[in-house]
Amino acid sequence: MTSLKRSLATDPHASNISSKVFVRSTKSGKVQKIVRELYLRQDIPCSSKLCSACLANVPADANGNETLFVLSEKPAGTKAFPTGHYLVPDTNALLNGMDLFEQSSGFYDVIILQTVLEELRNRSLPLYNRLLGLTKSEYKHYYVFFNDFRLETYVVREKNETINDRNDRAVRKAVSWYQEHLQQAVKSSGRSKNVPAVVMLSDDRANLQKANADRINACPLAEYVSGLDDADRLLDMINTSRQGHEARTNVSEQIYPEYITLSKMMTGIRAGTLHQGVFSVSPYNYLEGSVHVPAFEKSLLILGRESSNRAVSGDIVVVEVLPKPQWKTPSTKIVEEETLNKDENADVEEGEGEAVVTEQERRALQEQVKKTHGSNVEGRPQPTARIVGVIKRNWRQYVGHVDGSSSSMSQKNRRQQTVFLIPMDKRIPKIRLHTRQAEELLGKRVLVTIDSWDRDSRYPVGHFVRTLGEVESKGAETEALLLEYDVQYRPFAKGVLDCLPREGHDWKVPASLYDPGWRDRRDLRDLLICSIDPVGCQDIDDALHARPLPNGNFEVGVHIADVSHFVRPNNAMDAEASIRGTTVYLVDKRIDMLPTLLGTDLCSLKPYVERYAFSTIWELTPDADIVSSTFTKSVIRSREAFSYEQAQLRIDDPSQTDPLTQGMRALLSLSRKLHQKRMDAGALNLASPEVRVQSESETSDPIDVKTKELLATNSLVEEFMLLANISVARKIHTAFPQTALLRRHTAPPATNFEALATQLSVKRGLTLRTESSAALASSLDTCIDAREPFFNTLVRILATRCMMSAEYFCSGTHAYADFRHYGLASDIYTHFTSPIRRYADLVAHRQLAAAINYSPLDAGSLQSKSRLESVCKNINVRHRNAQLAGRASVEFYVGQALKGRVTEEEGFVMKVFENGCVVFVPRFGIEGLVRLREMRVDGGLEPEGEFDAEEYVLNVNLGGGKGRRIELFGKVRVRIRDEKDEGTGKRKVRVELVG
Amino acid sequence: MPLDTSIYALSHLRLDGRRWNELRRIHAQISTQAAADGSSYLEMGNTKVICTVSGPAEVRRGAAGGVQDEKAGIIVEVGIAGFSGIERKKRGRGDKRIAEMQATISSAFSSTLFTHLYPRSTITITISILSQDGSLLAACLNAATLALIDAGIPMSDYIVSCTSGAIPSYSRTDPDKELVDPLLDLNGQEELELPWLTVGTLGAGERISVCVMETKVRVERLESMLAVGVDGCKQVREILDAVVRRRGKRVLESVVR
Repeated sequence: MTSLKRSLATDPHASNISSKVFVRSTKSGKVQKIVRELYLRQDIPCSSKLCSACLANVPADANGNETLFVLSEKPAGTKAFPTGHYLVPDTNALLNGMDLFEQSSGFYDVIILQTVLEELRNRSLPLYNRLLGLTKSEYKHYYVFFNDFRLETYVVREKNETINDRNDRAVRKAVSWYQEHLQQAVKSSGRSKNVPAVVMLSDDRANLQKANADRINACPLAEYVSGLDDADRLLDMINTSRQGHEARTNVSEQIYPEYITLSKMMTGIRAGTLHQGVFSVSPYNYLEGSVHVPAFEKSLLILGRESSNRAVSGDIVVVEVLPKPQWKTPSTKIVEEETLNKDENADVEEGEGEAVVTEQERRALQEQVKKTHGSNVEGRPQPTARIVGVIKRNWRQYVGHVDGSSSSMSQKNRRQQTVFLIPMDKRIPKIRLHTRQAEELLGKRVLVTIDSWDRDSRYPVGHFVRTLGEVESKGAETEALLLEYDVQYRPFAKGVLDCLPREGHDWKVPASLYDPGWRDRRDLRDLLICSIDPVGCQDIDDALHARPLPNGNFEVGVHIADVSHFVRPNNAMDAEASIRGTTVYLVDKRIDMLPTLLGTDLCSLKPYVERYAFSTIWELTPDADIVSSTFTKSVIRSREAFSYEQAQLRIDDPSQTDPLTQGMRALLSLSRKLHQKRMDAGALNLASPEVRVQSESETSDPIDVKTKELLATNSLVEEFMLLANISVARKIHTAFPQTALLRRHTAPPATNFEALATQLSVKRGLTLRTESSAALASSLDTCIDAREPFFNTLVRILATRCMMSAEYFCSGTHAYADFRHYGLASDIYTHFTSPIRRYADLVAHRQLAAAINYSPLDAGSLQSKSRLESVCKNINVRHRNAQLAGRASVEFYVGQALKGRVTEEEGFVMKVFENGCVVFVPRFGIEGLVRLREMRVDGGLEPEGEFDAEEYVLNVNLGGGKGRRIELFGKVRVRIRDEKDEGTGKRKVRVELVG
Repeated sequence: MPLDTSIYALSHLRLDGRRWNELRRIHAQISTQAAADGSSYLEMGNTKVICTVSGPAEVRRGAAGGVQDEKAGIIVEVGIAGFSGIERKKRGRGDKRIAEMQATISSAFSSTLFTHLYPRSTITITISILSQDGSLLAACLNAATLALIDAGIPMSDYIVSCTSGAIPSYSRTDPDKELVDPLLDLNGQEELELPWLTVGTLGAGERISVCVMETKVRVERLESMLAVGVDGCKQVREILDAVVRRRGKRVLESVVR
């Protein structure tokens, strides 16, 4: 028998081949050993423009494109490195100072080693993605050097060497190779040039020591930064929490319980003893959070700081349910962090350990427990739980302001001090911040990142990213809002703008019918089409027409801007649009999904010009039944762009008898019938408080607030858009049963309405039927208070809040029965009519174009269910954030409009707590929190309140025999004024009860 | 976890440090088992297979396989060792994937071997997969070619095979234009992440005798993938040819001596 085993020494290529062996454990807990080959090579360039040797063997891809060299010939230097330098950060440096590397004032010519990139990816995926973004930017000169594939820099892990030590050694080896290589390169070029230094940035002390022994330029990140201009600001941006944290290991100083290990959590979840869910904090009580887990019908309550164990709202956590005797009902009390833990000194904690729960907090909680035990409250106690581990932190960057009382401002020297940052989002705890510029930060909107939350720290520790501007200045507040809701507001990148048609604003529909743009397009230019939109609308998505047919029926067309003609799948513009997901409308600003050229000109169906459109044309009977429907790409010329008011006036004016007006009248009468049909089918007529901020035309300062009016023409447009969406949904679902992008609205579970139904029956003796949308719609109609016309709207607003939110989904992921849109009472629905401002519509356009065989579907993205699912997931989040941002913007401007004014308005009690209530003011569409302690008379004590949770009544004893009864749904008069909170420096709308 | 194929655009280097048009190391031996009529051992990177050929032999009673009277039938048996993959896994007799590989190999060789010379007989190709790291079918085909040559069964030419895949990329100058970066000879990790196909050619020309693709890919990309694959087959053929010639030389020398 011959042996097949051969010695590697006989192989001539053996020196170039190595293998990587590593062990990984899978999700199911299995351990796998993985062996990978590595081919080591010598043709990986250094990418420095100084080097000519590497230029000879630049790699090219299959299409012959060569990669360009990025590291500049004369890199910037510092005092320590006057000849200029290339930076080589190690993983710690990137983890601690990613914000620094993104600065435009420095950090150019950076070499990212493959070892570091890999390590960073394992440590933090978001940071890895940010770094990849940097390597793509042209002006930053970031180069990824694949040191583990280069023969000279490849390092074999030695026996008993930890992987970290091996990686550090690889970094040092690469740095020293670079140093030598550059020296040689400069020498061989013959010209006497300065050789730039190669500087390793590291925060690992052992690594630095070894680097010095190896005679490599190396310095800690902080030391390097302090040699730069503007060092104070830059130093603040370093994450300090990861350094030197070995000091405190004493058990007695640990405030929070330890997290259990990941494998323990996994086993627990599988066994059903632990549960996984998203942690969310109550907006009224920062000490109370909840986690919804599939195993329990009601959310699990997390009470108190110790149970919530360092989780921040939004984290994915693992919880353990507490024994039944500890179950409680949700609190009926307002607890705010600012008021409880005011004037804490941020520095204190550095010294000695302290209890997790402050005395005030404990009292607030205890009182609550007592109350719930005392009275037999309506709801059964809800299960409570405590957090035992965090699966995934969903920390983002937070906007807030520095708590002025938390630092001693007297110190004029630029010593580093610790301050608290109070985030705008009430559900996020205070963040401790080390800063050298505390004075400058006061009164500013500041962007920070949470770095860590250790067991020995009451609050999370973070670091400064940048300031947005003065608190309350319009610019800073708007930007803060956009950041808080993760809206992408940066101007479009060059790559995106390159995708626009070259003609720019001069682009026209080609005159020749033989132009490829006219392929399979119907010429609808002779139809009398018009658009109806709000005043001042620039991105006109839709236009309509109607004309009588000889057989007595009507031809009705809905024409939608043909955005998919301009935004081709998978190019940079498409990628950007899919990330943005939607256009965000703020009071004074619009953040577009697509570049303005498309949104407001080329795609916008402006009047009097020819535009490409995607048309849906029906034949409708006079009773608005669909006889037939067709979909086609088309060219249209809109005759007029009406505002809702103008359209209404024109329809109502009997002297107008031209065909366009006749068409609009036909549309209106058809839309009424469509509306009636929808209502009969059980569509809901919900209400949400919508107000419009009127602003002065020149300064755009808000001056007044108006509630939005609804005209018949609003409903006209809406009905036909719904009809178009439903027709398109049916079409694309038939064509692509697995991958159609649809929108659904699930029926809310009955438990959602429980609270509202009980409240209505207790307070007004009304019944709320919720078994179907039709039943809900009709029972909502009966919720009337003869004396109070607004009561019905109030109930509708409350009912809306019990609903689930509608979502986009991919048709293959749900059964047909689950496609239903509850609110619209339609069995299938999608979004098709606003492709300029919603990405979902753009996808629907592409799918419809493929369904009518106009163009093939791009295989890469839209045919794959998983790709489509991730698109849906993103646009669902973006859609929601856009709504929230819009609302927050209105809220801010309402506050601005009320600035310096005191008005008395009517309000309605929406929610009663034991120490306050929430009042809704219809005039401004705002909700105000009224606390008992604000009702005290002339600086007296906080009045005593007696809360009857079963009757939803709060009896307030104002002293001196005077009392006051606050009742749910009750009408109250309130005084509204804006007030600047001294502690937070933030202006707020204050609502007070009057008389 | 190491990096994935998304970094290709940064470096033009693949996960194992190869360029787009480079094969992995191929190592092949012939006549490894004296007891068999023909045998071979082949490594393509970390994919390792042993192949033995027995026959042409008389038809076994009740043997499965399309045994026709006037031609020899080719029976292929592929066995995947439980330890060959990352996870230890035992594959049963009725495994569909194995059955398909067997059918592909059998039909590829039934048109290349001069089976009409051996009526009423069978040729059994037994392939044992010792280690898998991508390009499994290609390795099996190459190993079978070598073993069949070793067995001295007349054939018209070598069947050689390799895999190719594609990474999508976009042109820097014209964003609307899509480019394709084809890759040659995929390893296991790349096969998981990218669309790929196995191509086998007959002889030194560009006659494709095997083409198997189980992933989805846009039809425009197929052409460049095939071109790269065929090109790779030519390289593989040279390597296998050298192995055969080296063996032939040794046989001649031993005869002369």
